[in-house]
Order: sequence, then C-alpha cells, then structure tokens
Amino acid sequence: MLEYILIMLCLPPICAIICAVGHLPNGLLHWLHRLTTTCVCGSVAMLAYKFDPAKPFMSDYFYVDALSLWIIIIIATLYMAATWTARSYLSREERCGILKGEQLQNGRYFALMQLFCWTMFIVLLVNNLGLMWVAIEATTLISALLISYKFTSQALEATWKYVMVCTVGICLALLGTLILYYAEIQALGSKNALNWLYLFENAQVLDPSLTKLAMLFIIIGYGTKAGMAPMHTWLPDAYAEAPSLTSGMLSGALCSCALYVLIRNLVILLPTAGAVMMGNMLMFFAVLTVAIAVPFVVVQRDVKRILAYSSMENIGIMVAGIGVFTAASLKGVMLHMYSHAMIKFVLFFIAGTIIQEFQTRNMMRIRGMMNDVPATATFWLTGILGILGLPPLGLFFSKFQILGAMFSEGHWLAGCALLILLTGVLIGILYHGMRMLCDRTHIKPLGDLITFTDTFALMTLLLLTCVVGAGFANMPWLNNLLDHAVRIIGG
Amino acid sequence: MEYLVVALMIIVFLQTRFMELRRSTLCLALQSALIAATCLVVGIAHGGGLHGFLPGILTIVVKVICIPYAILRVVKDLKDEREIVSDINVNYSTAVAAASLGMSYMVIDRIMPNIAGRDILATSMFIIMTGLALIVMRSRAIMQMIGMITMENGIYLLGLIMTEGLPIIIELGIFLDVLIAVVILVILTSRLRLNFNTTDTNVLDKLKG
Repeated sequence: MLEYILIMLCLPPICAIICAVGHLPNGLLHWLHRLTTTCVCGSVAMLAYKFDPAKPFMSDYFYVDALSLWIIIIIATLYMAATWTARSYLSREERCGILKGEQLQNGRYFALMQLFCWTMFIVLLVNNLGLMWVAIEATTLISALLISYKFTSQALEATWKYVMVCTVGICLALLGTLILYYAEIQALGSKNALNWLYLFENAQVLDPSLTKLAMLFIIIGYGTKAGMAPMHTWLPDAYAEAPSLTSGMLSGALCSCALYVLIRNLVILLPTAGAVMMGNMLMFFAVLTVAIAVPFVVVQRDVKRILAYSSMENIGIMVAGIGVFTAASLKGVMLHMYSHAMIKFVLFFIAGTIIQEFQTRNMMRIRGMMNDVPATATFWLTGILGILGLPPLGLFFSKFQILGAMFSEGHWLAGCALLILLTGVLIGILYHGMRMLCDRTHIKPLGDLITFTDTFALMTLLLLTCVVGAGFANMPWLNNLLDHAVRIIGG
Repeated sequence: MEYLVVALMIIVFLQTRFMELRRSTLCLALQSALIAATCLVVGIAHGGGLHGFLPGILTIVVKVICIPYAILRVVKDLKDEREIVSDINVNYSTAVAAASLGMSYMVIDRIMPNIAGRDILATSMFIIMTGLALIVMRSRAIMQMIGMITMENGIYLLGLIMTEGLPIIIELGIFLDVLIAVVILVILTSRLRLNFNTTDTNVLDKLKG
C-alpha cells in the first residue's frame, strides 16, 4: 500500500519541476504531463483495488480509510480528465482564446496543475489535522497562481480576493485547530498531537466548552474554503476568471477536499459539541448559501458565473446533508460530491469551449447552438439537465436522498426552504441554458471545436455519474466502501 | 515577559498608525522580532532543546528577514508610496485596535478564567483582531499583506502560549505556507502595478453580480 502512496506523492512534483524548467518542446511536455497523471491514477486504482474498507491503512504519517479513498477516487478521475483534455483546450485557447497565444505558457500550466493535484492528495493522505491544515493552505496558494494564470486585470482581481478571503478564513481554521489541540493537551497530554485516529478514539474526553469554540472557528474557516455563505464572495470571481479546466478542478476537486477536512474535524468534535447544535448550525449556513446563490443565478449574464453560483447551491445541499448526520443523508452527500464533481467539470469545460467558439461570455449574445455547434450543444444540454438533478444523471439520486433524509429526520423547515430555492435555481439555469440552444445565431461561431478526446473524456464522466448514482446499491464493492465511509462519520 | 507584552502592544498600535509603506514594513519586522523573542523566552522556560529554540529561530529567519525583505523589494518599485487614505481612516483603525484590546481581555476572562498567561493570551487575540482590522480597513495591497502577516503572528503566538508549541513538522509546514503566501502576494502586487499602475485595491471593482 505504502508504495502506491509514495508514487502518488513523488511523481507529480518531479513532473512539475521538469515542466517548470521549460527546456522541453511543447509536444513532449504534453506527453510527460499525460504519462505522469496516468501513472498516478494507476497507482490510485491499485490502491483502491488492494484496499479493504474494514481495515484502514496506517503508517507514521499516512492514513487511508474508506472516506479518504472515496474522495481520492473523485479527485483522481477529474485529474485524469483534466490532463487528457488539456492539449485540445490549450491549443484552442492559443488559437481563439481571449489572449491569442503569447501569454500562454504550457509548461507553467502543467507544473501548477500537477502541484495542485499533489497538494490535494496530501490533504487526503495525511493522518494529522495540523498537516491537513498546512496542505489545505498550500492548495489555496497553488490554485491562486492557477486562477491568475492569464494575468489579465479581471484575473488579478479575482485572485487577490481569493487569496485574501481564503487566507483569512484558513487562518481562522488554524485558530480552531489550535484550540482543538489545547483541548487535547488538557484531556490527553501532548502525545500523538492532533493525530486524527487517536483523537477519534478519544473524542469523548475533550472539554465541551473548548470543542464548541473550536467548532465555530473550524466551520467558518473550512467553510470559507468550501464556499459556504457569508464568506463566499471569492467563489464566483475565482471560478469565472480561472482557465476553464482549472475552474472544473476548483469546483469539483478542491471543494470536495475542503468538505473532507471539514468532515474530519467535525467527526472529532461531534461527541462533545453535540450533534443538534452542529446540525442546526450547518443547516443554517447551507440554506443561507443556497438562498444567496438563487437571485444571482436568475439575473446572470456570464456563462461561467452562472455555473459558479450553481456550485454554491450544490455546496449548500452537501452541507445540509452533512448537517442531518444520518446514514442515508451522508451516503447521499458522498454520492452528491462524486456526481457534482463530474458534471460540474463537464459544464465548465463546455462553458470554456463556448467562450472560445463564440468569443463572448455574455449568454444574451449566444444563440442557436443546436444548429451551429451541435456537439457542444448536446454536452451543454446534458450537463445542465444533470446539474439541475434530472434523472438518469447521478445528481437526481443523491439530491433525492439528501432531501428525503432531511424530511424524515424532522428538518422539514430547512427542507421546504431548500426545495423552494432549488426551484428558483432550476428556473434560472434552465431559462438561460435553453435560450442559448434555440433560435438563430447573432454571432457566427468559429465552428464546433470539441475534439474526439474531449468527447470521449466528457462522455465517460457523464456515464460514470449515471452508473454510480443509479446503481451503487447493486455494486457490492462500491456499496461496501460507501457504507464504511458513512460509518466513520457516524451515521 | 511583562515587558515583552507591553512592547508588543505598543508596536501593534504603532502598526495601525503608519501610512507609509516602508516604515510600516519595518514596523512589521520589529513586531515579528518581538514575537521571536517571546518564542525564545517560552522555549527556554520549557527547557530549551531543539524544539524550544526552533520556533524562535524560524520566526527570525522567515518573518524578520525574508518576508520584510521581499516586501521592501516591491515597495522600492512603487512610485506612489503613500497610502491613499485620509487621517480619519488611520484613526479608525487605531480605535478598532483599542476596542479589540478591551474585547480580547473580556473574551479571555470569560472563556478561560484564572489562566496563567492571561496578559499574553489577550495580547495575541488583540494582535489577531488588529491584523483583521488592517486587512478590512486599508486598501493598499501591501498594507493588506502586512495585516495578514500580523494576524498570522497573533495566531502563532496564541498557539505557542496555549500549547507550548506544535509538533515540529506542522510548525515547519506553517512557516513554509506563510513564506509561499508572501511570495505569491508579492508577485500579484507587482502584477497589479503593471496592470493598473497602482497597488490600491480600490481599483479592483470590475467583477460584480
């Protein structure tokens, strides 16, 4: 097991250094990038194959259980898709992007992308809450360079907001972690400092007043990173201004990572801080997040910002699912994370393609996609229907499960509020999305730019959400993994 | 220890008064030096050794030398060195700092009554809140950066006093993160200067809705 983990943690930085030095020609860099990613994802697959959910893997610094393996699988899938579509995306960006060539450096992009995924893997593999904090902060810093990749004025503005808001939030999370450490020292002494498993086994003896304080800071801190409401202001800007492949990774992978760390911390705090208080707090923030996203979705003009607000809505649903704390809802959250990551990646990729084809981000000016760019239009339609939660795509099943659990556990007020707000999101996105598909064009597009590799990658992602979302109950291995992941959180 | 606490309070109050970037950066270096001194005092009190001295030495290397040097390099390139805020704004941030000093004593007394290091804990909370106030109230990019490091200093001090230091690997990670954060913010600041001809973040208002 350890050898696979070491491959996952050694290859990306080596590849990043080679790419960043930049002596290799572009074609070779592409293949190096692809080869590294495929090797890393291969070792993730081997890790998943050898892994027994009942017996978590432990070593001095690493800890892998069903929960972390599930998120690793999500991130590895996106990493694979982002790598194999990078070539066509970057060449299109050079030909018909806003910048047209000269400011794009493929080596820098590949190096940052590898480092970004590397830091996310560290978050998921380490066994220590302090190291998780360090790695989460590192993801913020690396992704900041990815968001400002084009160094346009808007990109700089988005990055500045992102770094400032997220660093302050993450600093608050550090404060929460320190308070948790203080509680650990008071109750258990300073041995095994912040070791997750040790804390998990001894969670009952922590001082409740300290854990409540820590919970406050940790929810706000890591919630900022995930994009929860009052601290969400960086999210639409960052998602909209980053290169589209990065937006997909930010929305799908990084958000899952932040929620993962939040869950890990909450599991420790749960026995002493009380499930009722924690659940109510999470539910409040969840409904607030969705409520803030709705009006912006309805009046939106920018094709990538509407997707960013839809991400906020989905984060709200996931946080609400965590707040219910039952087996059914947590399983829903796990599935939702998966389906949302896949579908949102597809949507951001297609949005980037639309921007390249029509040379505008204003949805009001894009018409007649069905006639002129049928392949792009088909993916756009499928993605939209998927993100709104229509069957047979995966989000339908997970949303259904989460909302069902909310009503059966007596959170009917929050449930009703979420249902009404989700209707608003549905109307907004469907209206804008459908407008773009029908009618005749005002702007002549540059042609259907989706290549064969893109089609294959996007189709695979969409099919995976259908299969996993609808049929997880019939796949014993997957069902077992999810059951164990849910049991860790305490469903 | 009492002298260090008083000196830290004074230096953080001074931090809110400066409008000029160079002096503000030097003040930040002085503040970090005081934090390092506190680290060393605490480390010696707990019996020295590598784990006792490491936080202090790292603070000196990273926060007293590297970070101010990086910031000063950017400041040198900026023609318009004065912050475009009126005096009243500076007075506001001092007022906020004073209010947060009182508040942090109240919070500490309420959460942890009769704790040994009451003054230093209250001071570190005061530093955190003042850093936050600097980020929120100042508009120059460099000043926001300084506010961020001030806030980080406060959290680090709080952690050091409450827990007698984190495990070494986590501590190294935190220092590395702070260093990388400053490098990235310095890159962004010089890009801001190239794109907007100013580092006043009030110009960053294009993205809305």
